[in-house]
Amino acid sequence: MNEQILYKHYLETVHAYFKRFIDMSAEEFNMIAPYFEIRKFGKKTKVLKTGETDGYFNIIMKGLARKYLLVNKKEITIQLSTEGHMIHSEISFNLQKPSDCVIEAIEPVTFLSMSYHNIQMIYEKFPNTEKLGRMIITEMFIKKDQRDFKQLNTTTRERFLDYMHNHPDMLQRVPQKYLASYLNIKPETFSRLKHLLRPKRSAG
Amino acid sequence: MQHLYEYIRQFADVTQEEFAEMAKHLETVHCDKKHILTSKGQIEKYLYIINKGLVRKFFYKNKTEIITQIAKENDMVCSSVSFLSQKPSDYVVETLEPCTLFALSYENLQKMYSWGHHMNRLGRLITLDWLLQKETWEHDRLRHQPRERFIRFMNENSELVQRVQQKHLASYLNMKPETFSRYKHLLRGH
Repeated sequence: MNEQILYKHYLETVHAYFKRFIDMSAEEFNMIAPYFEIRKFGKKTKVLKTGETDGYFNIIMKGLARKYLLVNKKEITIQLSTEGHMIHSEISFNLQKPSDCVIEAIEPVTFLSMSYHNIQMIYEKFPNTEKLGRMIITEMFIKKDQRDFKQLNTTTRERFLDYMHNHPDMLQRVPQKYLASYLNIKPETFSRLKHLLRPKRSAG
Repeated sequence: MQHLYEYIRQFADVTQEEFAEMAKHLETVHCDKKHILTSKGQIEKYLYIINKGLVRKFFYKNKTEIITQIAKENDMVCSSVSFLSQKPSDYVVETLEPCTLFALSYENLQKMYSWGHHMNRLGRLITLDWLLQKETWEHDRLRHQPRERFIRFMNENSELVQRVQQKHLASYLNMKPETFSRYKHLLRGH
């Protein structure tokens, strides 16, 4: 697919996502669409470094990115995101202050991004996006709370199986140490749990 | 109510008249201590703003209660995911002291949103504030050792320390009651 067709396809995906929350005609969406930017980053590139202010809200169109905290030289992965999902430093972006976390491309990534400045401008200029923004943030809040709840309320084994069941392609795409960190499982335990994923041989 | 008005004005311009109209949609609730406001499996009907008293939010991990919020005067509390999604609650919301609460029902909140864009803006910014608080709490938890978290919490919440049972504070800080007791010596003056 050539770039132009792909870009159009990306925008259509975003429009469909918005329509889950509010009625938005193609005309209305087309007024907002020019404010999206395509941003590409190579494998292992840091999209956002600690201390930088996050200027962009990103939707992943292609590839895989992670967000991590650096604690005593150890990386703690707090988000792993693939196509169709959003990634940014919520605190840095929304409060426009230096980030305490890093966003890194695990695979080459293509983002459909909107700058902080343009988002604020859109809220002012197209006030019906206030409702859209409220509903997207509500969904982000619900997802985050559910993840926190799972982290506290499940055993290591349950967490592992639940994640692998819901994200079967991640074991191939993400280095194990990142997955283990994200699920708050020791790397040794993670390796051990992998045998649970092998298909059981039928008897006989 | 004045405090609530100040709180809201941090996020959006709301006139006294508009606020008075909003306030009409709040119900005042008085309840005893240990009163269950929301039980597990129930759909959260209200968002509470505490006028007087203390409220905790917790869930059961097997039979252990895990506290995820201790709310005091002027804080908001509810089983938030259940309230926002109108799905059954994983959490229990219970008063720790006799309370006076201002309760905003889900229906009344939706009604307010229908008033216009600036109500949606207010809702967006308050929900965002909840999200950022959650994120900040998570980063603090990952970044600081239990001992450090304990000292910070005790220094920043001296009032809660007087009012809340130790076992509840320990649960909220995700530590064993014994560990909590052991850390207390760190607080004594020299």
